Amino acid sequence: MERKSFLKFLIILMFSTLFAALLNLDLLQGAKFRRLSDSNCIRLITQSGARGNILDRAGEIIVDSRISYDVLILPQELNQIDRILGGVSGILEIGVKELKAAFRNNYFSSSIPVTVASNIDLKKAILLGEYKLEEPSIIIQPRPLRHYPYGALASHVIGYVNEIDRWRLTKLEDYGYKTKDIVGFGGVEEKYDYYLRQEEGGLSVEVNHRGKFMRVLGFEPPCNGKDIQLTLDLKIQKIAEESLSGRKGSIILMDPQSGEILALANYPNFNPAVFVNKRTRLIAGLFNNPDSPLINRAISSSYPPASVFKVVLASAGLELKKINLYTSFLCRGSTMVGARKFSCWDVHGVQDIISAIAHSCDVFFYKTGLLVGAQNIHDYALKLGLGRSLGFELPYETSGFIPSPLWRKINKFQKWFDGDTANLSIGQGDCLVTPLQAANMMAVFANGGYLPSPYIIKTVGVLDLSEKKKKLSRVAFKKSTFEIIRRGLRAVVSDPKGTGNVLSGLGVSVAGKTGTAQVSRGATHAWFIGFFPYDKPKYVICVLLENGGPGHAASVVARQIIEAMNNQGLI
Amino acid sequence: MRNSFLRILILALIISSLGVLSIYSSTYQKEGTPWQDIHKRQILWVIIGLACFFIMSQLNYRRLWDANYLIYGVAIFFLFLVFALGIIRLGAQRWLRFAWFNFQPSEFAKLAVIIFLARYFSRKSVDDISLLSGKFGIFRGIILPFIFVAVPMFLIIEQPDLGSGLMLLLVFVSLLYLTNVRLKYIFTLIFILILPLPFFWHFLRDYQKQRLLVFLNPNIDPLGAGYTVIQSRIAIGSGALFGRGWLSGTQSQLYFLPESHTDFVFATFSEQWGFLGSSLLLFMYYLIIRQGFIIAQRTQDSFGRLLAYGISLLLALQVFINIAMNMGLAPVVGLPLPLMSYGGSSILVTFIALGILVNIDRTRSVF
Repeated sequence: MERKSFLKFLIILMFSTLFAALLNLDLLQGAKFRRLSDSNCIRLITQSGARGNILDRAGEIIVDSRISYDVLILPQELNQIDRILGGVSGILEIGVKELKAAFRNNYFSSSIPVTVASNIDLKKAILLGEYKLEEPSIIIQPRPLRHYPYGALASHVIGYVNEIDRWRLTKLEDYGYKTKDIVGFGGVEEKYDYYLRQEEGGLSVEVNHRGKFMRVLGFEPPCNGKDIQLTLDLKIQKIAEESLSGRKGSIILMDPQSGEILALANYPNFNPAVFVNKRTRLIAGLFNNPDSPLINRAISSSYPPASVFKVVLASAGLELKKINLYTSFLCRGSTMVGARKFSCWDVHGVQDIISAIAHSCDVFFYKTGLLVGAQNIHDYALKLGLGRSLGFELPYETSGFIPSPLWRKINKFQKWFDGDTANLSIGQGDCLVTPLQAANMMAVFANGGYLPSPYIIKTVGVLDLSEKKKKLSRVAFKKSTFEIIRRGLRAVVSDPKGTGNVLSGLGVSVAGKTGTAQVSRGATHAWFIGFFPYDKPKYVICVLLENGGPGHAASVVARQIIEAMNNQGLI
Repeated sequence: MRNSFLRILILALIISSLGVLSIYSSTYQKEGTPWQDIHKRQILWVIIGLACFFIMSQLNYRRLWDANYLIYGVAIFFLFLVFALGIIRLGAQRWLRFAWFNFQPSEFAKLAVIIFLARYFSRKSVDDISLLSGKFGIFRGIILPFIFVAVPMFLIIEQPDLGSGLMLLLVFVSLLYLTNVRLKYIFTLIFILILPLPFFWHFLRDYQKQRLLVFLNPNIDPLGAGYTVIQSRIAIGSGALFGRGWLSGTQSQLYFLPESHTDFVFATFSEQWGFLGSSLLLFMYYLIIRQGFIIAQRTQDSFGRLLAYGISLLLALQVFINIAMNMGLAPVVGLPLPLMSYGGSSILVTFIALGILVNIDRTRSVF
């Protein structure tokens, strides 16, 4: 080949190579490079809406959100960052070192703005806003934070919010949850997180190669979460928490006609705000506290019901016609069951059903229990809503436990003795009941034969759920059974020797039952479950004091609550 | 023929206008006043370049034969001057400061060396069309001209401007090839040049080594030496078929692409005009170079022919290396894209070279 033709060929080859390379870059890989180019210069700055508020039954705010301000910086060249952080530090009165450390820790990639300070107040945010005119790379982002105007009030009902954990994330990923999302833990916040949750909106901005802000490309407004209205009555809730005042235990007030929970208080409780402010030491303290302040005792802990359980015995005895209004047993302070002596807490003499309930006579119920039989006691307990989960809306509800001979045989390969029946008759032994179950059982006697399913959510957003939630199932007892037991419960208070006599003379007629639960270690648990006013019951009350002493102590607390409610004209 | 004059003029005008548009777009929105008017300066250079083009196309190229040693001498003088009082920019001492502009003697030297070589391998007589080199031995055929090339080359490489220096070498070798110097000699020369390459490695500047390594794998240093190539590939690729549109190139306008108005102006152009625009541009460059080859082929005078070949090759090599490096196919060397990159010296020299090319064609028809 001639030399010049070869050179010409070479030139054509060179240009063909360039053309082929262009083809490859532009057409084959064009989409990829377009994406790379966009990610080079487009930054997304997310803005979150506010989480839904939680309201009480009257629409009073229990939890809402307050705007706080975060300071973010678009990553840039290092010396630029140092200069900007210097300026920011001057305004925020936070050390440059701290800001730099925050920048280093939160830096994820050059395409994502870095949070250097969060939770700054409005005044400083305005000052920074002025500084932003000089340094457009600063972003001041309003961020709604959970705000608890009443501190720890109803903390177990509400729960708290925190960064999503790994376990929840794996479960919720499919529903659009992401790492670092703030989600609810415990209470309504957890159970109704999907509704309370806000939707993120944001700003897409164009930046140059130094990450310096150039212009805004688009904006999508964030959406707020749905508000949730509870059936709680803030006034009653406050009274309940005040009455508990530092004693371990749980108080529930409930409307027996519908099953609405009007107050649900536990102690020890916690201030959900510590999770918002990220007070690490306080949070660790909550988790390590042996008294478990995060536990919602009203539904997640179960206790031996003790004498409170005698209501079940009375219903079973009356329904099965083992006893009637005129049956009476003699209490000499103890009775023999088989070879073992079972004692009563006092010597009551001749007791009929009314006085036995009023004086909480153990001997009467030992004998009734032996007549009725353990399996029947178990069955009647279940009819009254014990021993099974109530399907309550708050998470981590425990079902409690009512033993039976069958269960004993199957699970423990042990025989059931009459002694066990006697023990069960006074609500001791393996028997466990949650405060909510106890209150629910009392509601049956308050409303005359309907077992409610308690609920606490009234509306979600604009949707009124109360009609759907209100489920009363008929308890098919004889009318006389209810009447007799109601009379007995009334006598607990009205009888001068009644165990709950401390509740008399309040201007409102109270009926109820006390209980003193023996525990393997420590002082007894004190119970009081009751309802008032006796004639037309509007409230069921359940007071449980963990290691609080005899049932009398719980009655005193109940008295305080009813007194306060009466004073405030709530009855 | 007037024909080639018009063709080259129109193509050069279109390409340089596209260059001005690209330069304008790359500085568009960039803050700071010194940036704002460089497209105006480029327009001025193009106008001056056009004037030179007209002058050179009228001036009989054979005068270059006579002025040859003078031109070569001036080129060497300027290159020395760069050493003495050149201004340092971007870490290299390549420019001479004049009244209101910077002059880059290496651009001028490229042309001077081509004129010198064309003169060296041809005879004065217009009638004698044979080349001298056929009769040359190894000394006169290779060694002596290599020394003449090596002096400016060494001065340019020391600036340091590896790209322009190697460009001289490439033009030299291809001209040797065209002048019928025996292939044996040429291969010997190439062999001798390649042999000590590992040794020269130590003489390269750190940044030059880095660039060569980065060429082999741009991702070894994505934020340092590889940054430019990566960004340039992104810019070109993101143009896709139709481009992002004029003044909408984010890579070039938001500073992601360094040197977006000089060495990487092709990426700037390609981002905005896409595959269609870029392949059209490539085609126009090809047309100019093809025109140069046609002119060379139909010129009987050996000096004119070699000169035409040399100029076409210089253009072709510069265009190829520059665009290839924009696309990451060649290591990053400081070579401008003729007619498009911002820079007076390059524009001026290219227009002068094209003027000479046109004049060769015109003068040919006189005979």
